[in-house]
Amino acid sequence: MTKVFCTGCGVVTPVGNTPEAVFLAVRAGRSALQLYPAQPEPYMASLLSREGFNGPSFFEHIAVEAARKAVAQAGLDPSGPRVGMVLSTIKGNVEQIDSEDVSLAAAAIRIAAKLGVTSKPVVVSNACISGLAALIQGMRMLRSGAYDHVIVVGAEVQSRFIVTGFQSLKALSLQACKPFDAARDGLNLGEAAAAMVLSTQNSLWELVDGAVRNDANHISGPSRTGEGSYNALKYLLPLVNREQLAFVNVHGTATRYNDEMEAIALDRAGLLDVPVNALKGIFGHTMGAAGILESIVSMQACDAGMVLPTQGFSELGVSRPVRVSAQEMPTNGTEFIKLLSGFGGVNGALLFRKGGAR
Amino acid sequence: MKHVSIPSGADLGALYRQVAGDYPKFFKMDVLSKLGFLLTEMLVADETDRFQPREDRAVLVFSREGCVANDRHYAASMADFPSPALFVYTLPNIVAGEIAIRNKYAGETSAYVLEKYDEEQLWALVREAFQDRCTQSAVVAWIDCPSDTVWQADAWLVSREEILK
Amino acid sequence: MNELINELKLKVIEALNLEGMTPEDIDENAPLFGDQGLGLDSIDVLELIVLLEKNYGIRLATPQEGKEVFKSMAVMAEYVAANRKK
Repeated sequence: MTKVFCTGCGVVTPVGNTPEAVFLAVRAGRSALQLYPAQPEPYMASLLSREGFNGPSFFEHIAVEAARKAVAQAGLDPSGPRVGMVLSTIKGNVEQIDSEDVSLAAAAIRIAAKLGVTSKPVVVSNACISGLAALIQGMRMLRSGAYDHVIVVGAEVQSRFIVTGFQSLKALSLQACKPFDAARDGLNLGEAAAAMVLSTQNSLWELVDGAVRNDANHISGPSRTGEGSYNALKYLLPLVNREQLAFVNVHGTATRYNDEMEAIALDRAGLLDVPVNALKGIFGHTMGAAGILESIVSMQACDAGMVLPTQGFSELGVSRPVRVSAQEMPTNGTEFIKLLSGFGGVNGALLFRKGGAR
Repeated sequence: MKHVSIPSGADLGALYRQVAGDYPKFFKMDVLSKLGFLLTEMLVADETDRFQPREDRAVLVFSREGCVANDRHYAASMADFPSPALFVYTLPNIVAGEIAIRNKYAGETSAYVLEKYDEEQLWALVREAFQDRCTQSAVVAWIDCPSDTVWQADAWLVSREEILK
Repeated sequence: MNELINELKLKVIEALNLEGMTPEDIDENAPLFGDQGLGLDSIDVLELIVLLEKNYGIRLATPQEGKEVFKSMAVMAEYVAANRKK
């Protein structure tokens, strides 16, 4: 099977605008989470500054920014016929639903045009696992033989639409979220954009394989048996070099049910001896960007020989003895698994491996 | 490969009573999920072992507008009391989840948004989905519903052999 | 109380899209959740919380509180009668 590599990364986040800066922020526990007074009720979130921006769509603006950075790092000419683009987002321009065409397809076409991409873009909108699903889609496009490079970009901006929705689900915490902690009481929303250029050209980090699996249980409640998450992990296990597995970067939204579900899935997959970390205590749940952003930070950590700390975590609050990293830990591992879950019962897992050419 | 469709504006309640009738959760769904649910009922009704849990069948849903009809209902509810029951359907992939729950499909479920119904692009994406070693068949649907009463709704049941031949 | 129970049944049927059900179909002492009775789920709880706020000015902070209040139609009616602001 064709090997797929990451040849460039780009990020736009409230804690930094390069992968290195975001990595350092996570390492230092420097979060951008703060309490916003009204929407109409207060909410804790990690939001980007709109200062100096006056275009039609902030969402498209940050997506283009992140993608441009990734394209520049990869040294890619995006205009060739064998360059593809995948957009990952959940709600895109939804804040303009009363006045504009908020179709995600239309947004993808404008983003592709700004980047100079000439092939037809595709949008993957698979709830909170969209970022991982989009990376998997990019891998598949390369393996089909039709593309040499695929730009995978994920972005999310927050709006009254999303905030009131999560409030109505009683899913938001008013404190900075506490993934896997005994005192966790909900998630925080976040804004970010993150992009990767995937390529058949050899590079340091390889995306080995990934899978998407459904719980087939409930559209908003995570499975009590971790079914889909376990099945996605099970798909990857034969490909994992266990002694090289540095950590599993989990979804870790800090809702009661999600984190418990992931603990059960990790147990069933025989991964309780592997360090686990979650990053949402730094930049919240960045939805369509999360899978790509958290993977980029995890590659940085692995490069630095480190399992990053889980901001907000102090006392284990799930039923299985998961090795959650409260502080940073050294590692010699060269592989990690990224895990996500979302509404609609979807779960995703992707295996990353270091070892290609620099 | 088997193909079914639902004409735009059809009475979905009547169709439900005709092809299913035993799943009252249907009436809680948004129009996108209702269409996906009914299309799948029509596709798989006569399969043997229909409700046996299986991981080898994917659900791949395509549209231009995603769940915009329901998004507008939720946005309207925001003005006084935001409705959680509407909010959970403000995701284009919930329809795939509803199909998976009803039919106990534990395989891949994915939602894609395309500029338009583009046969070449859609079937290329379906072929690519079969790169998952586990997937042996898929429910593929193009369901585009800009409103509760206007839509294109087509679905196919495809096997690995049919797609990769 | 019977009048309030009936009113609540109608509102619940509407809010939760319980297609084809009439107030007579709902036993006011039967559990609303789980496999018996109406078999409602976690989203229905949240929607019932909205129903209480919208119609009676009652605010429940958590779904856990809701589980107590929504044990049955009769329990719900008692709670509404005792706590309603409108």
